Amino acid sequence: MNKRVSLVLFTIAVTVVFIAPISFAYLLTRPIVALNEEVYLKRAVLAAAGLEVPASNADAKALFDGRVEALPAPAAATGPAPEPVYRVNDASGAAAGWVITRTGPGLWGDITAVVGFAADRQRLSGLEFLKQSETPGLGARIGERWFKEQFRGKRGPFSTVGEGEPAKENEFDAITGATITSGAVKAIVNAVVSAAGSLPKEGTP
Amino acid sequence: MSDTVARAAPARPRSKAHAAFFDNLGKNNPVFVQILGICSTLAVTNVVANTVVMCLGLIWATAMSNLSVSILRKWIPPRVRMIVETLIIAVWVIIVDIALRAWLPDISRQLGPYVGLIITNCIVMGRTEAYGLANPPGLSFIDGVSAGLGYSFVLLMIAVVRELMGSGTLLGLRVLGKWWTPWSIMVMAPSAFFLLAIVIWVVRGKIMKEEKK
Repeated sequence: MNKRVSLVLFTIAVTVVFIAPISFAYLLTRPIVALNEEVYLKRAVLAAAGLEVPASNADAKALFDGRVEALPAPAAATGPAPEPVYRVNDASGAAAGWVITRTGPGLWGDITAVVGFAADRQRLSGLEFLKQSETPGLGARIGERWFKEQFRGKRGPFSTVGEGEPAKENEFDAITGATITSGAVKAIVNAVVSAAGSLPKEGTP
Repeated sequence: MSDTVARAAPARPRSKAHAAFFDNLGKNNPVFVQILGICSTLAVTNVVANTVVMCLGLIWATAMSNLSVSILRKWIPPRVRMIVETLIIAVWVIIVDIALRAWLPDISRQLGPYVGLIITNCIVMGRTEAYGLANPPGLSFIDGVSAGLGYSFVLLMIAVVRELMGSGTLLGLRVLGKWWTPWSIMVMAPSAFFLLAIVIWVVRGKIMKEEKK
């Protein structure tokens, strides 16, 4: 009996001794982690809007807070929960662009895209990905600069080009070996393109 | 701690540490001799950068866990030793995870759950069971580092081949020119099976056989 009690006590003591510093470290770094997450989203929105994103976290946050306004999400009757929409103002406060986030299925998991539009709500000002778990080296290459940059200034709805350079302004270069991921990105971006037309009218220049 | 090292030292001054270090790199290598840690060999070796972070994490986790278990080895009751080992391993791995989240958020996002999965890497548990529980802290630490290094060099070999042939790049920089057609199979899990099998075959069939003679 006595031996059993000491066994349990030892296990409890060891657990407390090792978990305490870990919990302390977690609490200590929590504000840093929260800021990282917040700025990660804000950087993506700014980049999608075609703005130059400052290197420091504090500057990026200040730019976002000064220029970007989160719109009340439209109430969706059915389907997935509505995702945030942002209005981007120019320096004088007039609407200069729109940013829409949208999540859709990829190959292994959900892809969350952040799509920016110019004031006309048709021409893309940029594309970023908040979340994706595609195959590293194949589908995950949608996160590379060349892939995201090719959408800038183009007009949807998009179709893919398998080989060679996209010629028309509604085409983008798909990733060889990542057909499903490329198709998923096309579906998400095209859904956003059609949603952009129905953005709230108030605040338009 | 210091007196156990001192007691162990005079008998055979350098050979114990020497053996603890070099056995794990060669004749007792965790990957190609003990065939441990195979899951992560398949999962993280298609891009060299991820492999490097994974290897550093594993070296850290094995060394620190082995050291902690060794320090506590005289007090850990045999019946709960595995619970305690798992707890200790988890603590050292979660420290890595917390540090990455706070100061290297981009790498943390890329590695996703793999860092946490170091806890379940059989090499860490295997070394604490086989070595940390029976040896003084200094030697255990050396053993942990070298087990991590033995794992790392095999993984890096595979990762270099996979990234080079699968994407034509190394650490994200383009090495092979436009003429190179990437082998898609190389960035997918099956290629790690083939390459690992080839490594084991070459090392055990050729190199280790010659050593025995």
